[in-house]
Amino acid sequence: MSRTADFLAHRWVRLAIVLIVIVVLAILPLVLPVFANQTLTRIGVYAVAVLGLNVVMGYTGVVSLGQIFFVGLGAYVTAYGVVNDWNIVLVFVAACVFSGIVGLVIALAAARLGGLAIAMVTIALPIIGVPLAKRLSDVTGGSQGVSARFSDAPDWTGLYNDQWQLYIVILITAIAFVAGRNLVRGRFGRAFAIVKENEAVAVSMGVSPYRYKVLAFTIAALFGGASGFLYMVAVQYTSPETLSFSHSISLVAAMVIGGAGSIVGSLLGGVYYVLVPQATNAIDPNLTTISQGVILLVILFVLPGGLVSLPRVIRRLARRARPPAGGIQEEGTVRPPSEGIGEERQAGPPAGGTEREERQGQA
Amino acid sequence: MNMRSKRGALVGMVAVGSALALALSGCSRGGDSGGGDSAAASPGITDTSITLGITTPLSGATAGPGTCTVAGLNAYFGAANAAGGIEFGDGKTRTVEVKAYDDGYDPQKALANFQQMVSDGVFLETAGLGTPTNRAFREAAIDEQVPQVLVQTGDPIFSDQQESPWQLGFVPIYQNEGSAFGELLATSTAPHKVAILSQNDDYGQGYVEGFKDAIAGASNIEIVGEQTYEATDTSVDAQLTQLAGTGADVFFNAMSITPLAISALQKAQELGWLPSWFLPSNTSSPGAILQPGNATAFPGVYSVAFAKAPQSPAYSGDQDVVDFLANLKQYADYPDVPAFPHCMWSYMIGATLEQVFQKMTEPTRDDFMTQLRTVSDFQAPLMLEGTSVDTTVDGQPAVSTVQVQKYNGTGYANVDTFG
Repeated sequence: MSRTADFLAHRWVRLAIVLIVIVVLAILPLVLPVFANQTLTRIGVYAVAVLGLNVVMGYTGVVSLGQIFFVGLGAYVTAYGVVNDWNIVLVFVAACVFSGIVGLVIALAAARLGGLAIAMVTIALPIIGVPLAKRLSDVTGGSQGVSARFSDAPDWTGLYNDQWQLYIVILITAIAFVAGRNLVRGRFGRAFAIVKENEAVAVSMGVSPYRYKVLAFTIAALFGGASGFLYMVAVQYTSPETLSFSHSISLVAAMVIGGAGSIVGSLLGGVYYVLVPQATNAIDPNLTTISQGVILLVILFVLPGGLVSLPRVIRRLARRARPPAGGIQEEGTVRPPSEGIGEERQAGPPAGGTEREERQGQA
Repeated sequence: MNMRSKRGALVGMVAVGSALALALSGCSRGGDSGGGDSAAASPGITDTSITLGITTPLSGATAGPGTCTVAGLNAYFGAANAAGGIEFGDGKTRTVEVKAYDDGYDPQKALANFQQMVSDGVFLETAGLGTPTNRAFREAAIDEQVPQVLVQTGDPIFSDQQESPWQLGFVPIYQNEGSAFGELLATSTAPHKVAILSQNDDYGQGYVEGFKDAIAGASNIEIVGEQTYEATDTSVDAQLTQLAGTGADVFFNAMSITPLAISALQKAQELGWLPSWFLPSNTSSPGAILQPGNATAFPGVYSVAFAKAPQSPAYSGDQDVVDFLANLKQYADYPDVPAFPHCMWSYMIGATLEQVFQKMTEPTRDDFMTQLRTVSDFQAPLMLEGTSVDTTVDGQPAVSTVQVQKYNGTGYANVDTFG
């Protein structure tokens, strides 16, 4: 064990792993079947949305039930830009920035409230968003929605549409995840963690909880906007139903199941959000909600820290199954250096603390 | 040095991997893109079976009607399969398999389901309920050249052949319903003052447009008040008070929200305003809306329909209805008398598809679409007298004729004149 950890800690080896991941991501769209590509594309869309939610909720402890509003906003801005023939890069920037600004304005007001009051404000977002999208029918297409096709593969690439869309999603998702990882591992991440842990302590250390909550909320909205852009890449159509409140709850569930306060967990949350409905459809299309509920409960019972804690749980079980003294000690020394692969441990407190923080966030 | 050799190996691995990947990708797409040949069968159809897909809300707020859309199909084709299958135009007898997918009224999931259908190899998509969910994969279906036909939405775009070459709507578009009532009103010779309350979206606007077109030439009909409400509103009391003040004797109420329809009926009685009332087909259920709204207080409540209502005593002995209920119970695991018309509509869709299958001489999607547009004057089981399936008219759904009906205290009876 410790030898693998030392090996992994080496700079070149880590670089090589990153390289391999990049190469695999570059090749994957070319070799996978169409439906796998399309599924991966959708996973990317929601992984970014969950990542944003994780920044505000998992890392900063501000309960947000309105993330889908920003996804929808980003989607509508994208649709508007495409319909009006904006440059596609400009459309992407506009989707992110516009959502970010709206998020900032809302956060400036909402973050003044404490605890669950913020959650109440964020609940209002999708509830206002749906009728708003219906009423502003000149821009949004009303309840019939608006479709915007801009993500078909250009001829020069020689790619199929699903491959091209997956490349766009991989690129933006990768950027978002690297940015998210750097954010929560750096100065801001530490400030978020203190604000989440104890606001009084944060103040005493010169960290303004208000300012960092606003920052986290704005970043979450920004990621939501990016996710909305990706939504249009993948779906090419948006309607008021996109903003439906129940999707917001699903996003929160996906975040908790993936792993609150974890970057890898955000990705797993995206996987959950997309794959579970598909899987339950295969079981019995008449029982999707029930089987989704069962899966959700089973995961939360077995893995309270989310899917991301699965390797840890397996290691613990393996250790119990094979009790020799050496194993335990080794495990203890191994943990810190292996941060390279499990970034989630770096920023947030370890999974054991998740439950506690969950409760604190709602207090 | 150790590291350098490792990196060398890595580069090698990557190179080999990419080469392999490129080679594989060449193979993997070559196979399934050969569908252009007209002689080759399309996916989802063999010499003995054909697979249909349906994406529809089976969970969430619209699950009731959504479940019906699947049950109706299963009832029809379950019975057809039990009788040995359907003989296609090419002389082969095939059984019909229906694969259902739940989209929960979420456009994104509807698209995902469509993509899954393509990967599962279904021949066509049919009977799905919902405007945004059907719209979400309309363009994908055109790209993939997969038929998305006889869908259950009143959105006219699905019946526009220019815009939707691989689509066709089944149920009447909103305009059809509005104009049916307008035409009935126009047959009346007495002067009428009409008040209009409509939902402020494509649904309400479609009804009002159809209604106004139909009464355009009638000089005895005057529109004295027009109000709208939002689909998210919880009360329309203010609009009703205003409209009651106009003293209209006919009230055209294009409303799709069940609780609002009930409270509107009650509020009007409270105000002492008792006009003849028009309600759309999906908010005119005797049990769910008219009885709680005490609709007998009004001189007449009108609605439109094209399916026989199994609840209605008038049809309880009807052979179509008896067969339908038996099939629903036996093949669709739906033991109750359906509360939603979608069960009947899906059953008719099954019958319409059978008509098309009988005309198909080639097992291809192209031939299916060609034959789909040739069904005319077909009286599907459960259809009311005076209505029929006609797929030959561009811009119109498969069913564009509806029968205006008047509430008689328990159910509906057909009417030909107003009053």
